[in-house]
Amino acid sequence: MTAEIQRNEAPGGALGWVDSRLHLGPFIAALLHVRIPADAKTFYLGGITLFLFGIQVVTGTLLALYYSPTPEAAYESVLSITSDVQFGWLIRSMHHWAANLMLVSLVLHLLRIFAQAAYKYPREITWIVGGGLLLITIGFGFTGYLLPWDQRAYWATVVGTEIAGDVPLIGSSLLLLLRGGAEVGEATLARFFGIHVLVLPLLLGGLVALHLLFVHQQGLANPKRAEPRPGRVTAPQPPEKLKPFFPDYILDEVIAWYAVLAGLVILASLFPAGLEPKADPLVTPEHIKPEWYFLAVYQLLKLVPETVGVVAPVALIGIIVLLPLLDRNQEIRPRRRPIAIFLALVLLVAMAVLTYFGGQV
Amino acid sequence: MSDGFTPGIEDGGRTTAPQPRVGATGPGGFGRRRFVRYLMGFSIVSSLAMIVTPIVGFLIPTRTASGTEGGRVLAGTLDTLPIGSGAVVAVGAKPAVVVNTTAGIKAYSAICTHLGCIVAWDAPANTIVCPCHDGRFNPATGAVVSGPPPAPLTPLTTAVEGNDIYIVTG
Repeated sequence: MTAEIQRNEAPGGALGWVDSRLHLGPFIAALLHVRIPADAKTFYLGGITLFLFGIQVVTGTLLALYYSPTPEAAYESVLSITSDVQFGWLIRSMHHWAANLMLVSLVLHLLRIFAQAAYKYPREITWIVGGGLLLITIGFGFTGYLLPWDQRAYWATVVGTEIAGDVPLIGSSLLLLLRGGAEVGEATLARFFGIHVLVLPLLLGGLVALHLLFVHQQGLANPKRAEPRPGRVTAPQPPEKLKPFFPDYILDEVIAWYAVLAGLVILASLFPAGLEPKADPLVTPEHIKPEWYFLAVYQLLKLVPETVGVVAPVALIGIIVLLPLLDRNQEIRPRRRPIAIFLALVLLVAMAVLTYFGGQV
Repeated sequence: MSDGFTPGIEDGGRTTAPQPRVGATGPGGFGRRRFVRYLMGFSIVSSLAMIVTPIVGFLIPTRTASGTEGGRVLAGTLDTLPIGSGAVVAVGAKPAVVVNTTAGIKAYSAICTHLGCIVAWDAPANTIVCPCHDGRFNPATGAVVSGPPPAPLTPLTTAVEGNDIYIVTG
């Protein structure tokens, strides 16, 4: 009798046909019909980062259909994508800009989490997984940068891999592993292409799934009230105001995605991805500069010995990723965390100054 | 039972905890359960090693000789490289910078010792310059004059025969 009623209430059409076989309704309901704190302010940055990753998957897959990962053909294939293939310039420029915006939104997402202390109990593991996502995104930028095989790409990779070669103890092995040989060449391009289109997307996809699972399990953090810790007596508080995740939050998120998509198309149209002369291993162009997010490290290496210039950023990334294990202060309001907020501001200013001077000719 | 436990007993909907069988773990000895646990751990570790070893081995490239074969490479002539001038030339697959100084013809590896960029000859400043971080080298000795390079440029042997300038390798 119960089964009869359920069958009658199942949606009709194709959805009903699928649901009557797989019974996915309760699973999807468990994913969507959750309630989130009404005070949660995410600025939709995590979702925007995910949306940009989706754009990267689509545009990257399209680009791979025309791209040839060999030193002889890579540059010409990118030239052909840009000038011969229909909408090729748009797809490539969107891939270029989405990569930059993805890093921007990811860092802003990280700063939002930091400011709201949402990395603290019980979300430490979610933050650490997020740190892994940041590293993979930087890896995407580094490996994708070489693929056009122009002068800028080539020399940025020479310098970048040389920096990796200065990591104490494992530097020379790391350099060889990255380049696939003594110099940046055919093996490096093949490696970077494989890592860029296979290894990193799989890793990122897996970690994103894990990250989302954790967020779903723990719910969004309320920036106005700390999570009660087990074994600690807290003063009674009024009931938390909640709102539905679906459709309220999702609708706002989708609107944000459309706004980002519009901005992306405008950026790609007004400032399309360029291409410098083909890579020449015998000539380093004057005033060569890496991509903006590596400028701070590039400038640091001009000011300090190589070992310091390499160890300092690695240590900094380690501290950021392991922050929840290092910061034991239970307070979540920024005013009650003056040291953490001050150190973060100093770091941001230092990186901005280094990036500015690194970008100067 | 093979795991050394008697099965749980159904009792009106409740299940009692399984009881270890006498003899499953010998007194002070190496019990069956512990043995199986060690065996499983060993299997997991060896399986991982079996998977990881060929992957790591595959990723490490064969170390090939990156230097050039022994011999001489024509780097230019005294006509094209008068005193006070310099040029970057290919010596096999590697670049070299050749400079005609008042102290004679000098040649160095053109790979900057800082981050691997290719240096160039800066005639107005009379120095060898790296375009990446503006490191500068003395053309007569290859020593660092200014900037972040940690070591001088690697010197190469040159030979002048008639009007021709050669870089001798190997």
